Amino acid sequence: MDFFSFPKWTNFVPPALAIFLVISSSYAATLLYLGGSPRTTDVGYMPKQPVEYSHALHAGDLGIDCRYCHNTVEHAAQASIPPTQTCMNCHKTIRANSQKLIPIQESYATGNPVKWVRVHDLPDYVYFNHSAHVTRGVGCVSCHGRIDKMDVVYQAETLSMGWCLDCHRNPEPHLRPAGFITQLDWQPEGDPVALGKELRQKHNINPSTDCSTCHR
Amino acid sequence: MPSINTPKHPTRLSPKTEAAGHGKRYWRSLDELADTPEFREFVEREFPNRAAGYLEGPDRRQFLRIMAASFGLAGLTACRWPKENIVPYALRPEGRIPGVPEQYATSMELGGIGHGLLVTSYDGRPIKVEGNPSHPSNQGAADVYAQASVLELYDPDRGKYPYIKEGNQSRTVSWPDLDSFLRHHFSTARLQGGKGFCVLSEATSSPSVRELRHRLLDAFPQARWFEYESISGDNERAGTQIAFGHALRVHPHLDQAKIILCLDADPLGAHPAKLKHVREFTRGRDPESGTMNRLYAVETHGSTTGSLADHRLALPPSMIEPFALALAAELIQQPEIQLPTSAQAIQEVLNNAPTDAPHPEWRAALIKDLISNRGQSLVFVGYQQPPFLHALAAWLNDLLGNTGRTVTYTRDELYQGVTHAEAIRALTEAMKSGQVETLLILGGNPVYDAPADLEFPALLANIPTSLHLSLYRDETSALCTWYIPRAHYLEAWGDTRAYDGTISTIQPLIEPLYGGRTPAELLARILAGEITQGYEITRQTLQNLIQPADFESSWRQWLHDGVIADTAFPPVTPSIQPSRIAAAWKPSPTEGPYEIVFIPDSKLYDGRFANNGWLQELPDFMTKMTWDNAALLSPATANALHVQDGDLLRLKLRGRQTEAAAFILPGQPPQTVTVALGYGRTQAGRVGTGVGFPVHALRVSGAMDFSGGLTIDKTGRVYQQACTQDHHAIDLVGLRERGERVHELIREATLENYQADPHVFHHEEHPPAQLFAEHPYEGHKWGMTIDLNACTGCSACVIACQAENNIPVVGKEQIRRGREMHWIRIDRYFSGEPEAPRVARQPVTCVHCENAPCEQVCPVNATVHTHEGLNVMVYNRCVGTRYCSNNCPFKVRRFNFFNYHKHLEDTEKMVFNPEVTVRSRGVMEKCTYCVQRIEKAKIQAKNNGRAIQDGEIVPACAQTCPAQAIVFGDLNNPASRVSKLLEHNRAYAMLGGLNLKPRTVYLARVWNPNPELVEKEDDHDSPTNHGSA
Repeated sequence: MDFFSFPKWTNFVPPALAIFLVISSSYAATLLYLGGSPRTTDVGYMPKQPVEYSHALHAGDLGIDCRYCHNTVEHAAQASIPPTQTCMNCHKTIRANSQKLIPIQESYATGNPVKWVRVHDLPDYVYFNHSAHVTRGVGCVSCHGRIDKMDVVYQAETLSMGWCLDCHRNPEPHLRPAGFITQLDWQPEGDPVALGKELRQKHNINPSTDCSTCHR
Repeated sequence: MPSINTPKHPTRLSPKTEAAGHGKRYWRSLDELADTPEFREFVEREFPNRAAGYLEGPDRRQFLRIMAASFGLAGLTACRWPKENIVPYALRPEGRIPGVPEQYATSMELGGIGHGLLVTSYDGRPIKVEGNPSHPSNQGAADVYAQASVLELYDPDRGKYPYIKEGNQSRTVSWPDLDSFLRHHFSTARLQGGKGFCVLSEATSSPSVRELRHRLLDAFPQARWFEYESISGDNERAGTQIAFGHALRVHPHLDQAKIILCLDADPLGAHPAKLKHVREFTRGRDPESGTMNRLYAVETHGSTTGSLADHRLALPPSMIEPFALALAAELIQQPEIQLPTSAQAIQEVLNNAPTDAPHPEWRAALIKDLISNRGQSLVFVGYQQPPFLHALAAWLNDLLGNTGRTVTYTRDELYQGVTHAEAIRALTEAMKSGQVETLLILGGNPVYDAPADLEFPALLANIPTSLHLSLYRDETSALCTWYIPRAHYLEAWGDTRAYDGTISTIQPLIEPLYGGRTPAELLARILAGEITQGYEITRQTLQNLIQPADFESSWRQWLHDGVIADTAFPPVTPSIQPSRIAAAWKPSPTEGPYEIVFIPDSKLYDGRFANNGWLQELPDFMTKMTWDNAALLSPATANALHVQDGDLLRLKLRGRQTEAAAFILPGQPPQTVTVALGYGRTQAGRVGTGVGFPVHALRVSGAMDFSGGLTIDKTGRVYQQACTQDHHAIDLVGLRERGERVHELIREATLENYQADPHVFHHEEHPPAQLFAEHPYEGHKWGMTIDLNACTGCSACVIACQAENNIPVVGKEQIRRGREMHWIRIDRYFSGEPEAPRVARQPVTCVHCENAPCEQVCPVNATVHTHEGLNVMVYNRCVGTRYCSNNCPFKVRRFNFFNYHKHLEDTEKMVFNPEVTVRSRGVMEKCTYCVQRIEKAKIQAKNNGRAIQDGEIVPACAQTCPAQAIVFGDLNNPASRVSKLLEHNRAYAMLGGLNLKPRTVYLARVWNPNPELVEKEDDHDSPTNHGSA
């Protein structure tokens, strides 16, 4: 009987293959984990909008308060995108001939709304309520970042469930007195956590971590 | 249910159960009672019909092949989900906050009677209907028709365009073309004085339509107006005409009555003012107050009132009048009754009444009660009984001193002196003799529901110009020259009157989806007036009618309230004319071999809601049947005919015949078949066409409600029915266990026993020891009580829950597999003899156990417990193991076996409540205590810095219940209603012995039977005998 004699170098194949598989699978897993995490896929999302509206100009340079346009944020779940009417409050006269404002003026004239692209998009099974957060002392900047520095709005935070829970489990670092909600560059004097503790006590803030708070 | 081959249904308990020496035994169906082998087999499989295969359509191999192929095609597309747009207003109305719902008061007209509603509008579309608390009839409650009407608004099968029929072809026309035709045609007709112009309208109490009717008959002097409704109060009007000389409307006041006798009447289930009656009746039935009213019912079919009666007799329709005559004859012989001389003639009539009417001891006990409660009793006759009986009842009420106290009368201002039956007959006579050239049909569906002997369809086809204004292009529209889409009440301006006459306003919640018109708007166009918009018409009518000092602010107040105060019909004190009553009597011979009773369906009414999926799928309150009607038979009759459930029968009546599947219903009167109207439609839309059996073919003039002379033949064929009554039987061991436990699940007692022993409902409780520390629920602790003493089984809660929580419709096939999706179900049990059972009802939802079995077995933690005590379902985590449903002892969890929302038209999607997730395939769901309402109230309260008031959070089921049987609140608030109710001796937890600690607690039912009649009943079936150990 003849036996086939494997060449010597094949001795290294099984261990090499094993090491290769281990490394490549852990590489693939890490790649998918990091690549699929909201930090990668969501943060920095900056879609193109139908109108070149600049928050940096209006909210930043001109100092218009967030709530002038997003006026339902203290009363409702949605901080609504303002109707075209709100834009025309100023732009009927100010820069009425600007090229960039043509879609707005068309919308105002015809009654057809402007189709904005949603930046901060939570899944449909999540029910987020703005008024519950804003009235309790969570500032706009905590979730939306420095909007007043964005020419085009991009998503600044991951808005993942884990990120939400981080605050719900430990709200002190993110609380501020009610008057400073829309001041995006506000810094507390002294320790933010200590202030947060005080505010929490005063206003009886107990963010719920029950599932039905957001998922119904 | 699989076809059952038992030779007969026994009328006694099966030997096995008798031997076990049980006390009161409950059974859900006759198959369970008979314990047939087929039933056992059915029960063994928790999911019956499994052998039929999971997948219909492609078989498994093919399915895998398709799946493999699609995996190959799926590539790695973008790592982010598709972009979403935000589309705000261009001009936002002042005060509107997008995403915050608003409520508007409006009214819905059914059978000519208005019901006051508050409709929730979310972002400009109505999604939920509630009762209007300010309305005298509804008082905050709404029935199944109102709750389901929002689905009707968005029905994709509604007519979308006007149609004209030319020859055999139909084509759409534009609204301007229709208008020019109307202008042209009716100006010609006007020149001829309206000769040949007839209008056939459904019943309406709208002041605007009445006003326009007058103007029409002025402008077209030779025109004729006919009003027809297939379910009509004609008999009551004719009866009061006989008794008092004028047609009056009868208003019972059930809260004033201690003894109530219903002669084939159903004031609690099938009456225009039933919501008010239920509330009043429940108020008089509070055991804690010490006295309860007592309800006697004599009826020809299983009705809601009969199932709530302390004493009930089921008689064939031909026996009702003899029974009533015997009752009257025996009553006037009592020494306490003083007969005036004017009653001479009636006395003679009663002397000729048959003396051998059955159940003399029943009547004797009833008469004793009536005599000892003069002035606080009520004799009420149903709309189906002939006028003489209504007149007789009026006379009896007068004798007993009830008039003006438990029953009042008002003028019926809508009655024009012609009954509906006379009207349709006169119209068909005119059509036959060629006198009708133009026929305008406003609403209704006369081709479907006109008396069959008048041959309306054939006559209609020969009318030169016929127009039908209707929501759907139905059977009548198919035969008419013109079809005009009608505006739904949710998209229209108008007015109507409640049963007591109060004017209720109708305002639209949305622009007409298809540009439809209301009857008032169409009439205005025909009159070629300047005002043709419903808004202007209604304003004008109400201004002329009420003439307020400041119209504009009154108008705004009326729209806000939904009602115009002080517009009820004024009560009249009529004088009874006994001689007229006597003169109206004529003997009616009984015809055998069988009798038939036609009843409006509890879900489809007269058939107009046939295309409403929610209503079709709602289990009938008595038979628990979905998607069908049936020929209801008593067990004895079925036995004699050798008929079982599902056997297709041929029913023949005076030369006409139809087929219907049999269903054996305990408590049906002998020798009588009951059939529900509204089924077997041929042009109802995709949902309703072909569902059920058309029995209207047997309905002829003069016998529209019941008739003798019916013959029943078996066709030998079998029909599959979808009934939910035997679902969730688990297996044989489970069935036996459950059978022994039902008297713990539903607890009942008589008032006497309850007063003697307040703890009668708690004797069998053996709460086990708690092993581990209990969770302290500080903060809110949500709980609910359901009062079984109040529940009438109307099922409004089921539809309300379906509307609020986006619950899908699954269809008949899935119902047969036990896959109904209703989060709340109403279990219906019988007890006692199959021929004369007592009915027990129990609404069951998730009871939010503190020690929930479902939470302990979920492998992915998709069902968890909140700090406020809610058992919460997280849809996005659920993977569809269904272990939780397996573990639930109440079987209240519902699984989405398919994506039931997959094939929806755009308009159908508009009915969804955006506050609740729309579930897809593979996800478990169940009652959430309307957590969206709880969260909304909590957030609002916190935003405003206040505490939540008791009664601020009302789940959908609690809000709509006319009997207010469901109460929700905070158990940590000792002043809340629910905390107080929990302290009642009647409160008990279902399956409390399993240490589940459910948050929903039931209040036991207390009956108030007449002690004299109770002795007659078998002790075995006494309500309080729970069996020996």
